[in-house]
Amino acid sequence: MTLNGDKWPKMTSREEFRFLSELVLTRSSADHTMISLHDHHAGTTRFANNQAIQNVDVRQGKLTVTVTFDGRQGTASTTDFTAGAIQETLSRAENIAKVSPVDPEYLPPPDPYVFPARETAKPETMAAGPPRRLEYANEAIGQCRMENLMAAGAVSTSATAVGVAANTGLFGYERRGDASFSLTVQAGDATGWSAAAHRSINHLKVQERTLTAIRRAKRSRDVCELPAGRYPVILEPAAVAGLWAWLIRSLDAKAYVKGTSTFAGKLGEAIVDERITLQNSPDHADLFGEGFSNDGLPSTPSVWIDHGILRQLAYDRFTAKQRGEAMIPTLEAPALSVEGSSVDSIHDLVKRTERAILVTNFWYIRPVNLRDLMLTGMTRDGTFLIENGEIVSAVKNFRFHESPLQAFRHINMWTAPMEAVNSESRKILAPAVALPHFHFSSVTRF
Amino acid sequence: MSSPIWDEFAKLALKRIAASGAEYGDIRVQDSSTQHIEGADRRIASIRDVRDIGFGVRVLYHGAWGFAASSILSLEEVPRVADLAVEIAKGSASIALEKVRLAEEPIHRDRVVTHCRIDPFSVPLEKKADLLLNTMETLHRQSGVERSSASLWARQDRKLFVSTEGSHVEFDLLAGQGECAATALHQGRFASRNFNTPYLRKGYELIEEADFLREASRVATQAVEKVKAPAVDAGQYDLVLDPEHLSLTIHESCGHPSELDRALGYEANYAGTSFLTTDKRGTYRYGSPHVSLIADNTEPETLAATGYDDDGVMCQRWDIIRHGIFVGYCTNREVAPKIGEARSRGSNRADGWGHVPIVRIANIGLEPGSATVDQLMADVKHGIYIEGHGSYSIDQRRYNFQFGGDAFWLIENGRRTHMLRDVIYHGITPEFWNRCDGVADRTARRRYGFITCGKGQPGQSGWMTHAASPARFRRIQVLRGEGHG
Repeated sequence: MTLNGDKWPKMTSREEFRFLSELVLTRSSADHTMISLHDHHAGTTRFANNQAIQNVDVRQGKLTVTVTFDGRQGTASTTDFTAGAIQETLSRAENIAKVSPVDPEYLPPPDPYVFPARETAKPETMAAGPPRRLEYANEAIGQCRMENLMAAGAVSTSATAVGVAANTGLFGYERRGDASFSLTVQAGDATGWSAAAHRSINHLKVQERTLTAIRRAKRSRDVCELPAGRYPVILEPAAVAGLWAWLIRSLDAKAYVKGTSTFAGKLGEAIVDERITLQNSPDHADLFGEGFSNDGLPSTPSVWIDHGILRQLAYDRFTAKQRGEAMIPTLEAPALSVEGSSVDSIHDLVKRTERAILVTNFWYIRPVNLRDLMLTGMTRDGTFLIENGEIVSAVKNFRFHESPLQAFRHINMWTAPMEAVNSESRKILAPAVALPHFHFSSVTRF
Repeated sequence: MSSPIWDEFAKLALKRIAASGAEYGDIRVQDSSTQHIEGADRRIASIRDVRDIGFGVRVLYHGAWGFAASSILSLEEVPRVADLAVEIAKGSASIALEKVRLAEEPIHRDRVVTHCRIDPFSVPLEKKADLLLNTMETLHRQSGVERSSASLWARQDRKLFVSTEGSHVEFDLLAGQGECAATALHQGRFASRNFNTPYLRKGYELIEEADFLREASRVATQAVEKVKAPAVDAGQYDLVLDPEHLSLTIHESCGHPSELDRALGYEANYAGTSFLTTDKRGTYRYGSPHVSLIADNTEPETLAATGYDDDGVMCQRWDIIRHGIFVGYCTNREVAPKIGEARSRGSNRADGWGHVPIVRIANIGLEPGSATVDQLMADVKHGIYIEGHGSYSIDQRRYNFQFGGDAFWLIENGRRTHMLRDVIYHGITPEFWNRCDGVADRTARRRYGFITCGKGQPGQSGWMTHAASPARFRRIQVLRGEGHG
């Protein structure tokens, strides 16, 4: 049994998408027509209490048509790829556009572009199906059973055919695959967590991740309560990713122009430690780089924060044109790095620390105030007290109140960037960091 | 209603499941239409019409689940997907420790239809776009308002549920919502104020009954007042919370912990577990005697009132918290027997044909008390009145929470005085609900709903309504939501 590939149901191929888009373009009477394809095949094996609780496999194709008459736009989509349904979808889009008001920000679809060809579809991931997922779930469960612990987690794979086409001659098609594994190990009331996501299912390192989660869960059994307050911290890459996800989301150029952005007036200014750089690295093998965006724009390497200085905002096409920006960089493959001499591992960060809180992961991070990017959230599944270079105890989970712009103003120590996966944000490359101050505002009961 | 060919597909799938030796199976065929019109900064930014058709087959084989789904509705694809679901279930069974046993449910053959006065899909788009443009113009008429947004949303779900047990239920459901917001700027600060209708199972009359232009004028004025308002001083305050605000507090601090699958560890890896563990049922003091939280999936127009859930279980009404004591869970046919309940509460829902149903929060509402809102306010010397939703966060067992809001007024000596900004409050769930000493009467009861309740892997969006009258909470810790307050 395979998830996709050459066996039924076959994924929409480049030639089939070209045929479908030509069908729409030939029949469209609009000034501009744009078609996008998202043919998604995915499966998840979910487990809890050391057994599979959910095992699913889904195929969902989606074709979206946007048409424009004199700056009046309409968009319709369908999951039915038959000729009749596609004609009906085009008609719905046209009927909407004909009665829509003129959009003063409308721009025609982008011109043709030779999109970079990236290795977005690893054969081993595209071919992985329910048996492979079950095998990984079983591996994690087996390790936990041997230790008399409880495993809860998920193994997922997906393969997607993505396409964009327009009557400007724009055409892009690529296959994208990804695989992910996450595990929460329960040792009585204590928990430990680990996760991975990659283009290649072979890189999930299920056994290694399982042992990490088990180690964290066991260490979390001996727990003490510390008072809320400011502490030095070591943030593991997943925790760094959670905080930076909100910083990245706040880079919207339109909000910047309108004065409703955290960063209003700060383009070209230092916003974090001068050794920090944030880049888009779509060619990095461990990130989810893509050839093009949903808007039909190419994904290219770009620098967003250069040695602490904000250099780039996330533009929509209208705002970019208004501001005279020729290129609109994407940020689907973020890589965060710190210049200078790094330590070798998180273990080394711990060894060099006199006293700090070690945070494995954050949970339910939400903005409290977008003016200064004040965030709140909880530590989760592995929070420890470090004293004299050793983990001495787990601590009850804290709620934090902190802005990444404040917290990352100065970094004491850091590792090289590592793969960072957080359940609430996209994968990034990020270092583990030691920060001098972090504000924990309250403590929970476990 | 559903197409006659859907019944043919259902028969085909169930025949394959029966032939496999599986003990249970069902199929959901669904055709959903969503229309979303979004306005931003005085323009219509997008009008989208999304049609989503497909089917999902669920199989229980030797006590283990398999599920497969597809957007291709054809005589070739239905048996392929049914066979795949069986094969996946057999894989799950190979590592099953404890076999799934479904709670009994009578066989239902029924049709469920949302009754509406005005079909939202029949209202001309020009009329809807005009309403949004006029709303945004009204927002901008207020000096100090820099940005605006307005949107309308409508959804129709046609669905067929058929099970190997003989249940056959057709659905034709509607839901709608509309909203607008103003963002004001003042001395480099910005603040937003929102108006939204509840998400309800009603037609376009929901939008027509809300006076968008009057509400736009109100929220624009309040956005400017809010951005210029003094920041709150941190400290202990009595809080009076309005129904819209309470809908989120109820959702996060009562709704999620009352999901039995969480309490049993099913969500340990993602959404989390629950401090309302099964040993606490019937004895645990969750809140003060003023606090009764009732699940009611039978109340007309509410989001979870769909007649039947995706287990084919009839919607019900039951107690979650009775006079402060925790007494009941939201359940499905799989988890109900694990706590000795003979019948599911009918809270098993998927967000579409492509997802497997999971336990979701019911329409949980706070039972009205006997005071008037004025009486609640009159007894507050130093407090804050909070409306709407703002920042929110809660730990994975649902103890430690923090909420903001959309608008805040200082209460002094029983009177609402001026607006405040940057108010957030913090609490531990049972401590907070035990500080509730008054709930307003039924005349002040309002309903608000959610369509974006995230849970499950892969993630799904749950729909439910939470009703409440304003309620008062004593001595709650309030923080200032800026800087390091």
